Amino acid sequence: MGDSLKRLLQRLIRRIPTQMLKLTLEKWGRLTKAQQQSMDFTQPKWVLTERLLGICEENEWTVKHITELEMIYVMDNPNQGMWNAFQLIDPEDDFQSVELMKFKEQFKYHLGELVKHVSVKMKKHTDEAVWIRIAWGDSFSRPNHLKPTYVVHQLQAPYVYVTSLTLKQKPLLSQALILATRYQALKDANLSGRNLTAIRDLLMRQYQQVFPTRYPSPLAEKNETVSNTHIEREQAMFAANRHRMSCEAFGDGTLPQLQSVVYKLETKFRDHTNKTMSEREEPFRCVVKFASTNILESLRHCASSGIVSTPVTPLLSSIPLKGKNYFVITDNGPGPSSQKRQPQS
Amino acid sequence: MAAKLNASESLDCSDSSSSNDQSVSNRSSNRVAEKERRKNEAEDPFVLALKYFSDVEAGTPHQGNDDFENNLALVEKVAYSRGLPPEAISIMLEFAMSLRMGTSPVVRVLKCLIPASVVPQDAIVRAVVWLGISKITAGTQVLFIKWVLTIFDMIDAKDQLRAVYGFIFSFVTDENLCPFICHLLYLLTRKESVRVFRVRKLLDLQSKLGRQPFLLHLLSLYKVFCPELVTLSIPSRMRSGFRNHNSPWKSTLIIVQKRNGSQLASIVNPAVTLKDKTSSRKRKHWHLEIPALSSAVNKGAQTEPSRRKVVPLVQIQSFAQLLENMHRVELPAQMGSLLGSSLALQYLDCVQDESALLRLNFWLGYALHEEFLFCSDGGASQNSEEALQLLDKLLSAHHFLQEGFSSSEAFLYKFLNVWDGSLLRPQILGLLSNIPVVPSSQIGQLLFEPLMQLFFTSSPFFKCGLMESLNNMLRKWLTWHSVYALEDDLDISLNSHTSINMTLSGFKDSVMELVHFVGRLATIGLQLEGCHSLLFNFILDFYETVCDMFLKYGLPLIVMPPTGVFYPALFATDPVSVDRLAYIMYRYKVNLTSAKSQEKLTEQAFHISRQTFREFNNYLVFMVNCLWNSKMIHLGTDIQLGEELLLKSNVPQYWASFDLIHHPAFMNYAVDFHRRCWPGRKDMDINSIKHSKPWGWYLEYLFTQGYDGLKLFIQSNISRQLPAGDGQGDKLSTDER
Amino acid sequence: MSLLKPFSKLPTLNTASILLVESEEQFQQSLADALLEETAVTMNVRLAKSLPLPKENEESRPRIDLVVFIINLTSELSFQSAEASLKHLDSGYFLGKVCFLVINARNASVPIERLDAVRRLAASLHCPLLFAEDQTPDGVTNAAERLLTILKVAAGRVPMATALYLSNLTRCTVPPDIDQPSFD
Repeated sequence: MGDSLKRLLQRLIRRIPTQMLKLTLEKWGRLTKAQQQSMDFTQPKWVLTERLLGICEENEWTVKHITELEMIYVMDNPNQGMWNAFQLIDPEDDFQSVELMKFKEQFKYHLGELVKHVSVKMKKHTDEAVWIRIAWGDSFSRPNHLKPTYVVHQLQAPYVYVTSLTLKQKPLLSQALILATRYQALKDANLSGRNLTAIRDLLMRQYQQVFPTRYPSPLAEKNETVSNTHIEREQAMFAANRHRMSCEAFGDGTLPQLQSVVYKLETKFRDHTNKTMSEREEPFRCVVKFASTNILESLRHCASSGIVSTPVTPLLSSIPLKGKNYFVITDNGPGPSSQKRQPQS
Repeated sequence: MAAKLNASESLDCSDSSSSNDQSVSNRSSNRVAEKERRKNEAEDPFVLALKYFSDVEAGTPHQGNDDFENNLALVEKVAYSRGLPPEAISIMLEFAMSLRMGTSPVVRVLKCLIPASVVPQDAIVRAVVWLGISKITAGTQVLFIKWVLTIFDMIDAKDQLRAVYGFIFSFVTDENLCPFICHLLYLLTRKESVRVFRVRKLLDLQSKLGRQPFLLHLLSLYKVFCPELVTLSIPSRMRSGFRNHNSPWKSTLIIVQKRNGSQLASIVNPAVTLKDKTSSRKRKHWHLEIPALSSAVNKGAQTEPSRRKVVPLVQIQSFAQLLENMHRVELPAQMGSLLGSSLALQYLDCVQDESALLRLNFWLGYALHEEFLFCSDGGASQNSEEALQLLDKLLSAHHFLQEGFSSSEAFLYKFLNVWDGSLLRPQILGLLSNIPVVPSSQIGQLLFEPLMQLFFTSSPFFKCGLMESLNNMLRKWLTWHSVYALEDDLDISLNSHTSINMTLSGFKDSVMELVHFVGRLATIGLQLEGCHSLLFNFILDFYETVCDMFLKYGLPLIVMPPTGVFYPALFATDPVSVDRLAYIMYRYKVNLTSAKSQEKLTEQAFHISRQTFREFNNYLVFMVNCLWNSKMIHLGTDIQLGEELLLKSNVPQYWASFDLIHHPAFMNYAVDFHRRCWPGRKDMDINSIKHSKPWGWYLEYLFTQGYDGLKLFIQSNISRQLPAGDGQGDKLSTDER
Repeated sequence: MSLLKPFSKLPTLNTASILLVESEEQFQQSLADALLEETAVTMNVRLAKSLPLPKENEESRPRIDLVVFIINLTSELSFQSAEASLKHLDSGYFLGKVCFLVINARNASVPIERLDAVRRLAASLHCPLLFAEDQTPDGVTNAAERLLTILKVAAGRVPMATALYLSNLTRCTVPPDIDQPSFD
């Protein structure tokens, strides 16, 4: 058994929490009944790893098998890395969505053309999404299975979600995808987060939508918990108003989980007293990043509790509306950024 | 399989043989076990494995080396299941640190070094030496120091480690090791290890690395030992500097300790089970779980106590032993563990060297600060069992030592400023009553301001609690005074350890401040709470202490209660308050009389102001007139009510409404007495009790109801030749001069 | 700009009214519930995010006996909001009918300067400054109890005591600097 294979298995087992190990192995189904029964999952992790290494040798597993196990684990637990969304644009004239087998074949073929040493593995998930695991190598080195890239693509939708992709690999992947799906270009959707479903929901509009209107929507009679007639909220009206406005911006259902929003400001520096700065050719750059475990929820709370002034600035409300969490604001962009205040979540 | 069984058996034997009993009956069985062990040793695979590691030649490859694999697996198995005996630790550590098989097995070996009982310090010293000369990777070096920190309390002695303090110190310059080395040094530092060049080196590092918490902590410890060497100002709010490093071993260590501990269940303190929930952040609390561990240390060292020069405090089990080993006691790494053991406290009490107390104070200051004052979670876990136990332990230590620690005092001054009055109330009030005498110039700002605000905004029960605590505080101050006051010069050292000296007049000022402060609290508190009778009780408790300051504690100071306490007590509706007031007035009289006679005797002893006498006499005359003579005579003093106004109130015979018969507190006794005295009479006329004979009986009757204060008061102040006569018959010896 | 005045309305019989001002509107609800446990008097609790209060409620609003500013020390905004709200109180309130209630004072993330600033503010207005533990039920009950103690005096329910008298005893003083007691 090769050293690299051993290391791969060891690393993988280390990543999988003990309580999930049993289920994942069962799903994988490469262990014989007897082997499965011989595993005692109450033992410490290092014992289990030793045992699996033994079995690995016995069953003569190869890298293929181990990557299979890895894919099963990653597909079950997609919220581990940072997912970036990309959009496929400009379908070819005679476009129709590609059928799975063809896509597989095409993708592998095209990527193989572009890179010499690459190992691609594909699996179809229950929700019609294709999961692609790519271990990259280059013309001189064999594919590195320790740092694979995962790509998720739903054949019917023009979106691709990618995790751990380096800049160098991006054009290669983009090229292969375009050719395999018969679109003309792949563009960054400016949306990223740790929660894959959230990103997908946001792009596919699979959550409660709000439509900006100029008229206050008739609020559903909320049974305000009037706990006691002796407690009176002086500013209940304002609070209700703020709540309504925040709901207009973000909806009142559950919001997809995003971890951060980044605004990049590129503008001309305006200050008469400071010539050196205002006469620069280069635009003045400034980045504002809001981070939270659930940034949309936080922003909604900020708006309804009055930390952010209402009506909510389009800069914030356009996150769910446009499905983006990376904005570049230029001089003729929407609204001045000074309207925002730091949310405290 | 058989071999395996043997292995475990032999280990069992070695465990039990060294475990606890030294009784004669066990010795013979030990000897049998010894023989058996020798016999087994030859084929014991564990012993063979160890032999392999001690004999293996340098440069042997480990990859594909099945011998190595098998032997290491065997050692790991033993280690993870029951821990390694001391010799095994020595062998494995030596094997790993000397890099005989290269760097790759080192981590694996270090991770399995779970001690079953103790870790021999020679092994550590040797390993530290290896650290200096062999080419161990940085990560592994850190792992090794982490391991030492984790098992620090299990090292059987630290003298040799301290001997190489300088050598260990030299690793401070290593950027990776620095935080961990600082922690280790922190645990090893004694007063003599603090040197100018080391301080300079640390300051040097600090200027290079910035104000790192680990450097600050070590420096602040240096400052505790030698304040003259470290002029740096240490911020009062330091983040916890040393993190918990025991993660790779913690869980296994606990399992192994538990397993071994269950065999020694008889010794193990049952309290241990309470504290199983170690959250990772609490290394400082970890010491509180040490009892199980320390008993394990015991057995290893008891077999050969003469070899080591120092005796860890945990090994001392009786006071006699403590006396014997006084000069060579080794303090534990976690000073907080001292709080739990009465022997340790006894040691603290009698040892001359201040470093122990300094270290304890230092530890305590940070622990209290981080746990209660400024905690990271803002108080969610504040009522946790752990915190409560720490405070309770601290209180019982205070109680045991009969004095507080200066760090808990400083903590309290800060805490009172952010206290809500309910969080950990019993403990905080307990700490408050242990505060040593505060100079009168600072007492107002440190104590009175926060307390006053809390007192007046809180419930009557808080008020009672605070009164009780202030009473205890006063009593402790007075006791200190009576114990430590030197007769020739009037200096008193307030605290046996800290060198605060205070003149007698300074002390008197502080006491006076305190008494006046309580007088103010009491007056207004009674007014706001409508003379709450429970509160009254606590206030009168306080004055019972105050009135006896001269006779009971020998403090030449007499302070009268304010009118706001005296009159409400006299007119109280419950007889108990009146009775207690009578007792207090009686004690005042005894104190004043004896003070006066002493003054006459020794001319310049001390001087009680005329004002005090006048106040007392006014109170006394008013009280006697009121209770006894049915007169409301105001001698132009405190209360002035116009005659016309009283007449306007249309109360018939208003002057008699507070005598012993008509006093609201005693009225029902009078009625009851009347009924018993004249059972036949239909119409009640309680005024008839005033006649000479029934009056005497009535008094007797009152005294039998348990009103001893009243009894003493009347007996000492009223001569009863003229029953119901004029109050001037009770002329006092203490009258105004 | 409408000022809230202490004596613009007549008091109601056997009633005490308290106004809790908190910009975060978190703690005030639980505090209000705890305050209503009091049964000896009819309690009216009014909650506000900040002052001034809306004009529309002027009619229904009872005479406010005590205004409490709740300041969360971990948030600068909370302090600023309270500071801004103070301007909308009639000066009559500062004769004993205002108090500050600080929460999260023991949190490690609180800059020490902020606590000093709050202290200075309370001291300059001669108002009491209370601390509360909002995380535990005991802490909430205790805070409510202490507010009631002040409120009862402010509402004239304690004979022989007035709000000004009590606030003279409990008012905050200039921040003491007791990092190290200087005598040791």
